Amino acid sequence: MKEPVLGSRWNYTQRGYALTQSIRQLRQRSAATLLTLFVLGTTLALPAVFWFGSASLSNLVNGSVGEESLTVYLSLDVPDLEGAALAKEWQEHPAIRKTTYVSRDEALALFQEQTDLQDAIAALGSNPLPGAIVVYPSSSDSASAMAENAEALAARFNQMQTVERVQIDLDWVRKLQSALNLFQIIVSLLAIFLTLTGLLVIGNTVRLELLRRQREMQVSTLLGASRSFLNRPIVYTGTLYGLLGGAVAAVLATVSYSFIKTPADQLAAQYASPFRLALPSAGQFLTIVAVCTLLGLIGGLMTVLRPSPSILTNR
Amino acid sequence: MISFQHVSLAYRTGQLALDDLSFHLRSGSFTFLTGHSGAGKSSLLRLIARLEKPTSGEIQVGNTAYSTLKTRQEPKLRRQMGIVFQDNQLLYDRSVFDNVALPLIIGGYKFKDIKTRVMAALERVNLASRYAENPINLSGGEQQRVGIARAVVARPKLLLADEPTGNLDAEISEEIMKLLLQFNASGVSVLFATHDRELLNSFKFPQLVLEAGRLSNASDASLHLHAKQAPETVS
Ligand SMILES: Nc1ncnc2c1ncn2[C@@H]1O[C@H](COP(=O)(O)OP(=O)(O)O)[C@@H](O)[C@H]1O
Ligand SMILES: [Mg+2]
Repeated sequence: MKEPVLGSRWNYTQRGYALTQSIRQLRQRSAATLLTLFVLGTTLALPAVFWFGSASLSNLVNGSVGEESLTVYLSLDVPDLEGAALAKEWQEHPAIRKTTYVSRDEALALFQEQTDLQDAIAALGSNPLPGAIVVYPSSSDSASAMAENAEALAARFNQMQTVERVQIDLDWVRKLQSALNLFQIIVSLLAIFLTLTGLLVIGNTVRLELLRRQREMQVSTLLGASRSFLNRPIVYTGTLYGLLGGAVAAVLATVSYSFIKTPADQLAAQYASPFRLALPSAGQFLTIVAVCTLLGLIGGLMTVLRPSPSILTNR
Repeated sequence: MISFQHVSLAYRTGQLALDDLSFHLRSGSFTFLTGHSGAGKSSLLRLIARLEKPTSGEIQVGNTAYSTLKTRQEPKLRRQMGIVFQDNQLLYDRSVFDNVALPLIIGGYKFKDIKTRVMAALERVNLASRYAENPINLSGGEQQRVGIARAVVARPKLLLADEPTGNLDAEISEEIMKLLLQFNASGVSVLFATHDRELLNSFKFPQLVLEAGRLSNASDASLHLHAKQAPETVS
């Protein structure tokens, strides 16, 4: 008997057949497929950018709070020796990570270095600056716990006889943090809506594919195909759309992210922040693709699980 | 092989397509199903293939009583029979080979078996050399033979043919009839719907004659039709 020349043997397994069918569908209508992938890519790119960005932003917030410190100004009558001893004593406290004592002379030197008021101070004749202890609270898991910790310490220092005034440094970080929290909530909502839109785009596209495959499905049913055999190519098509759309989204997100990076870094530099936008890692890139693939799978399953009129029987 | 007891089928439109049919066909038989257009031939075949459910009555094919059949068991039942359609129902987006292979892919056959079975089936309908072509390039008779190859490739016990010669000229009709006879000779029960006078006259097989949904040659409802020589076999 004649030996037929055939494609891959895999095309003749149930799963391979389904995959071949869905790939063929995508390729046959390549213009429409590309358009859909572009729509899908742009829709999903925005949530991806937000996700990349929000990882960097939480780094910024937490990193800066890690630097949070209190400056405790001592009374003018506290001598340097006593101030240094106090600093050492406080350092033992579990809520405090580190302390540094800034003597009155050091404070004056710093002040003179940073301002043009040398003459004015010289005119005073004596050093008007108090000694100070810079207190770095122990680090906590979250920025808010950290802030509470600093707040509690400040309250306790304020009650001490030897303390003139307490200043919580980097308070602006906390304000920025509130602003960022709000921003993140808004952006998350937007991301959810866009992701749902992506899901609908996939669902709708797959539904159209299903209509286009109607004849093949009818013939297959006549030949004894089961529900899952009929559904498989449709689910695969959805998953493929998710996979490819996810890849487009991840590329678009990375590209637009690199556009944001330069101005964002410059902005951060102006605020003397060590914060820099990190480019998305390979892991993040793959996560985007994986999440979108899952989205496609869900879109495909949604389509086939939706009760559709029976193709063959009249009841 | 096939038994109908007081089977009626009304479509949703209210059209009573089949009215109180009772008959029994033996395993290995060759039976004509005949009657004018609209008499209910296709409806009867669709009932057997479980593409329709009877409004009343009991159908049994082989050991399967349809009244207790679950929806998810229907595909398997369909895989056990071969169906040849008047409009051949081929897919023109793939080769002849892939058309014939489809029932085997659906059935989960191994690649090696698919290759040998498809080529053997095409050999029997004398189209093995055309396996790589698109069926659109084949003549009507050739396409119908591809349809027959597809119907028998999974070696069913029962072959249902719904006017497979309807659109073909007499010579080709006879060719297709001979093919069906060959399959019948190898033990396949054949139910052949046709209103082709010439075929009915030249091949003396039992006939189920439908007239407006009723069996007109079955004055007594328990009429049994037997194959000419085929012995009773267990199905
Ligand atoms: N899906 C359907 N819905 C409603 N009526 C139908 C349907 N299919 C067939 N009929 C009607 O049932 C009767 C029998 O049709 P059919 O079985 O196709 O006859 P035949 O195959 O002998 O020409 C006809 O009157 C036809 O109009
Ligand atoms: Mg008909």
